[in-house]
Amino acid sequence: MSIRKRSTVAVLAVGVLALTGACAKGGGGGAPANAGNPSAAASDRGPSANTAPKITIGTAEDSKGPAIAPEGVVKGGTINQIGRDDLAHLDPGRIYSNVEGNFALLFARQLTGYKRIAKNDYKLVGDLATDTGEVSDGGKTWKFTLKDGVKWQDGTPITSEDVKWSIERLFASYSTEGAPYVQQWLTQEDYKKTYKGPYDGKHLDNVETPDDKTIIFKFKEPHADANYALAMTTYGVVPKAKDTKEKYDKEPFSSGPYIITNHVTDKSMELERNPHWDPATDPIRGAYPDKWHLEFGYQALQVTDRFIADAGDDKKTFSFYTSVAPERLQQVLTDPSFKSRLMTQPSPYTSYFYFNLDRVKDIKIRQAINYAWPTKQMQTIGGGPSSSVISTTILNPTVSGFQDYDLFGKKAKPEGDIEKAKELMAQSSNPNPTLVYAYNQTPTQEKMTVAIKTAMEKIGIKLVAKPINPKIWYDSVTQVDNGFDLYWGGWGADWPTAATVFPVLFGPVTDGAQNISHLKDPEITAEIKRIQGLSDAEEANKAWGALDKTIMEKVTPLVPDLNDIANSLHGSLIGGAEIDPMSWVVSPNTIFVKQ
Amino acid sequence: MLRFLTRRTIGAAFILLIVAAVTFFLFFAVPADPARLACGKVCPPETLAQARHNLGLDQPIFVQFVEWLAGIFVGREYEGLGHCPAPCLGYSFVNREPVFETIIDRLPVTLSLTIGASVVFLIFGIGTGIVAALKQGKPLDKIASVSSLVGASVQIYFIGTLAMYFLVFQWQVIERPRYVPLTEDPIGWAYGLMLPWVVLAIIFTANYTRMTRSTMVEQLGEDYVRTARAKGMSGRTVVMRFALRGTLTPLATIFGIDLASLIGGAIITETTFSLQGIGRLSIQSVTNSDLPMLMATVLLAAAAIVVLNVIVDALYAVIDPRVRLS
Amino acid sequence: MTAVTFTETGPGRRGDSFLSVQDLHVSFSTEDGVVKAVDGLSFEVEKGTTLGIVGESGSGKSVTNLAILGLHNSEHAEIGGEIWFEDQELVGASRGTLERLRGNRIAMIFQDPLTALSPFHTIGRQIGEVYRKHKGTSKREARDRAIEMLERVGIPNAKVRVDDYPHHFSGGMRQRVMIAMALVCDPALVIADEPTTALDVTVQAQILDLLKDLQDQMGTSIILITHDLGVVAQTAHNVLVMYAGRAVERGTVREVLGTPRHPYTWGLLSSVPRLGSSVDVPLKPVRGTPPSLLNPPPGCRFHPRCDYRNLVGPDLCSTEQPELSPERGHGDACYLTLQQKQEIHTQLMEGR
Repeated sequence: MSIRKRSTVAVLAVGVLALTGACAKGGGGGAPANAGNPSAAASDRGPSANTAPKITIGTAEDSKGPAIAPEGVVKGGTINQIGRDDLAHLDPGRIYSNVEGNFALLFARQLTGYKRIAKNDYKLVGDLATDTGEVSDGGKTWKFTLKDGVKWQDGTPITSEDVKWSIERLFASYSTEGAPYVQQWLTQEDYKKTYKGPYDGKHLDNVETPDDKTIIFKFKEPHADANYALAMTTYGVVPKAKDTKEKYDKEPFSSGPYIITNHVTDKSMELERNPHWDPATDPIRGAYPDKWHLEFGYQALQVTDRFIADAGDDKKTFSFYTSVAPERLQQVLTDPSFKSRLMTQPSPYTSYFYFNLDRVKDIKIRQAINYAWPTKQMQTIGGGPSSSVISTTILNPTVSGFQDYDLFGKKAKPEGDIEKAKELMAQSSNPNPTLVYAYNQTPTQEKMTVAIKTAMEKIGIKLVAKPINPKIWYDSVTQVDNGFDLYWGGWGADWPTAATVFPVLFGPVTDGAQNISHLKDPEITAEIKRIQGLSDAEEANKAWGALDKTIMEKVTPLVPDLNDIANSLHGSLIGGAEIDPMSWVVSPNTIFVKQ
Repeated sequence: MLRFLTRRTIGAAFILLIVAAVTFFLFFAVPADPARLACGKVCPPETLAQARHNLGLDQPIFVQFVEWLAGIFVGREYEGLGHCPAPCLGYSFVNREPVFETIIDRLPVTLSLTIGASVVFLIFGIGTGIVAALKQGKPLDKIASVSSLVGASVQIYFIGTLAMYFLVFQWQVIERPRYVPLTEDPIGWAYGLMLPWVVLAIIFTANYTRMTRSTMVEQLGEDYVRTARAKGMSGRTVVMRFALRGTLTPLATIFGIDLASLIGGAIITETTFSLQGIGRLSIQSVTNSDLPMLMATVLLAAAAIVVLNVIVDALYAVIDPRVRLS
Repeated sequence: MTAVTFTETGPGRRGDSFLSVQDLHVSFSTEDGVVKAVDGLSFEVEKGTTLGIVGESGSGKSVTNLAILGLHNSEHAEIGGEIWFEDQELVGASRGTLERLRGNRIAMIFQDPLTALSPFHTIGRQIGEVYRKHKGTSKREARDRAIEMLERVGIPNAKVRVDDYPHHFSGGMRQRVMIAMALVCDPALVIADEPTTALDVTVQAQILDLLKDLQDQMGTSIILITHDLGVVAQTAHNVLVMYAGRAVERGTVREVLGTPRHPYTWGLLSSVPRLGSSVDVPLKPVRGTPPSLLNPPPGCRFHPRCDYRNLVGPDLCSTEQPELSPERGHGDACYLTLQQKQEIHTQLMEGR
């Protein structure tokens, strides 16, 4: 199950999707999937591995195609992909997960997207649009102009009508899976109540299409990062003429470089070139192979073994999301012959051990726990430094505006600063408290729990561990009255700004909501509101970055969890393969087949 | 016989109904909501309600169950997806494919795996069992005993994974297991499934060797076997027609159980060899909270057990005329 | 074995006896040692006659007869001596030869017809397959023959019952089926191993009558193994008394039952109740228990149980093994003089 780890964590971070079995293992704190493997070979990893990517906003010039080709690129050939699960959704409007979104790059285009400039250097650029949009009205109005020469797979031009249709159809009853942001901004929080979609002839009047090339969004409130939001796969274009509603999920009409020519559910998929896609219009997608052949149903161990053996067609094979199986990780990390085929990338998702602020009221205790936290031991349990990196912040380094700080000296003393913690405990309201720690009942989590318990004992805290069935994890901890003091939770930003982090993690406190630390500090809430209202993205990012440290200093609502590292292999005739730092999946944009 | 079959069929149907009901209601007993899977991570209430409605989860559980049950016999209408003809097992929550078709698509894989492996382990198991029984105490018997012990103590995920690692990936002496429909390419079918067959056979053969050996030894000491020899029957006839006949009843019993567990529990085999059969489907349906798929796979496994039970019981009567069906 | 050596080694072939067992040894190797089940046994059966073999359990009766059919597992049993049947030596005969003889020329009737018949096959098939095997007939003919045989052994409604399974029959009927099966190929020799032991008395008599009738009709020789002297008296022409793997007395029924000469035979006879004898005279079983064949007593194997060994002399009985004498006719293996034997027997008879 660990195979799907990367998507898992994405899904996990989502919280509500905690039902998937994949989550069952991933869930519950830390780096569970790569368990069983100590720290060896950490030094083998390139220094870039832990470098946070830089994501900036590009210009109209940046938005012009073609994409920047990776070194030694070869065009043509058939590339093979193997992995465990099929793509559940192909209708861009119903895609939210990182794996599906990444895959949809092959056949669906958005108004904006992320262009790779170099390793860990990305720019938000216009995809179908000529640039990243023109904002006015204090951030409420966004205007995009479509490029010339952008076409559907049948050669008809992609129009602003199509873009509008694609947004409107997200309100229809069958479409429930996608991201909700743009819909909410156009209408209201519970957007399906306002509008039922375009199929009965009714349209949104705050999405304007004055001509075939221009589309204007008029939001109710300022949204400085609407151009980021519109880069989400959910906002990929669907042609009105070919919209088959529910059935579109099985037969998407391509706007991207490839057309799905064959799909056997859960087994295989073939893609061939879309002759009407013009690389000159596309700054993002390299689209180097002529054909794609995807096969599903392979477990991590077999995928790993196939890459290790590197025989026949497997040389021209990669996997979007399959990490090296834990059983083989040691071998892969220590054998230098794999180095050229190993992709390594820390997770763009974050997870935390939250305090229930309604119950653990003394900040001194919360800070003492942070000091005493057995980060190093947990890292070892999770597979060592090659499987996870120590995180000390709320924001992930991939998020724009991220500011690094280490309030509790975790990097200096990863095994925990017991002295400091004891000091704080002595000053606290209750030097010998009993805390209830809820954890996901998985073998790795059992071990981690022992480490945490031991560390807490050292500073006089008695930890009562409550195992919880992974399937109902989120349903349990997202209850406001959950009866726990400490528990794990994960999150992933929907685009690389903090706009979908703080407002969610420290937003409303209700059953099922993501503010599971129950943080209700008026000043922080006000600051979140203020930053959300900023029309200058740059300024907002800075403010978010500062808020990160403020929250930890002022409230300390959580203990940051380790950040997983993905280690994946690919075949020896694969070039340009790289795990995208934002989606944590191997990007289809740069990959090619060597001859 | 007819009365027996009628009665047992009714009994089986009743058991399956209970299994279905229990599975269905247990699914809802776990506070995991498949509708949330079909709703984005930021999921406004109306969207969630819509997702729930789309999956048919907005009705009372009992009504859902009755509708599901009725669908099997008369088919069902699905909004946006159209008519699902009987026997309708619904649409998968995950990929919105008709469950019945998916099952029909995957069943041949599991059946091929099961039946092929059965043929191999029955031949080898019974064969070595007979030889061991006839050569009691001889080196051949000892080899058979030891190897069957070894076989019985290994697990599919151990030996299967090992076989995959060495035979397929390291030494590349055999291709990766794959499924080619028998009707398309019989040789490819057998070749593609050879490794799983052999691995399954290694594990199961042991059981049959031991069972055949011990029963055979017992049978060879039976008076009627001696009579057969006293009648001048050739050694082969004595073993094959007389002694073996007596070993068939216990063999049929364990084979019935094994076959059912092979069909119902193909999870590990199919996972080990990356084959897309019912086992994989069932594990997927559990991890994805895919109720319709889960129901179908559970029911199929239960049906396999129940039906094979009836068949084994009926088989007893065929094998041993002293057994009366009642 | 060539024809020449045959005539030379022919001492076994005497008179018109068509079955001749000469110095038969059968021993089994077990974990505890070698069990000498039969140790130097010789006897003959003449055409059309019945030989009753009498003895306690474990005296080697059945072992001997299984040896005639070659039914001992050659892996465990060691067989020595010679068995001549219709100019054919059986101990060293090939498996094929034996298979051709079994059920065809020599047939066997077992003690318990319930276990001796296959529960899985119809009786018609079980009878028919013998016929098919040896006569090479069609299924149809074999079936007709089976029906004929069933009729002959007195199974009513044979045409229908031919398709029944053994468990559909009563004990007596089952034994009739066994007999039908044994006789289906008109064998020259039938070995009946305790054919009536499992049956109740009235049925016993019927079965014995049946065997007799069939013998009269077909001229079959019969070896009747039994521990029941009454059965022997009723059916057999000749008697062989066995003790611990050896023959202790041999003769005609009249000789052996009328004027028994061996102390063991006396013991056997005195353990049988007689009509007309006084009810208050207790039956006298042979005292002691049969010896272990793993480690048989030296000398006369019966001597530890023998009340008369002192009459012979100090050590003879416990050191020297007595041979059956005289070689022909009424013979016994005991060191007592003929006179002593007659006197003791007379005394014994009076005592009853």
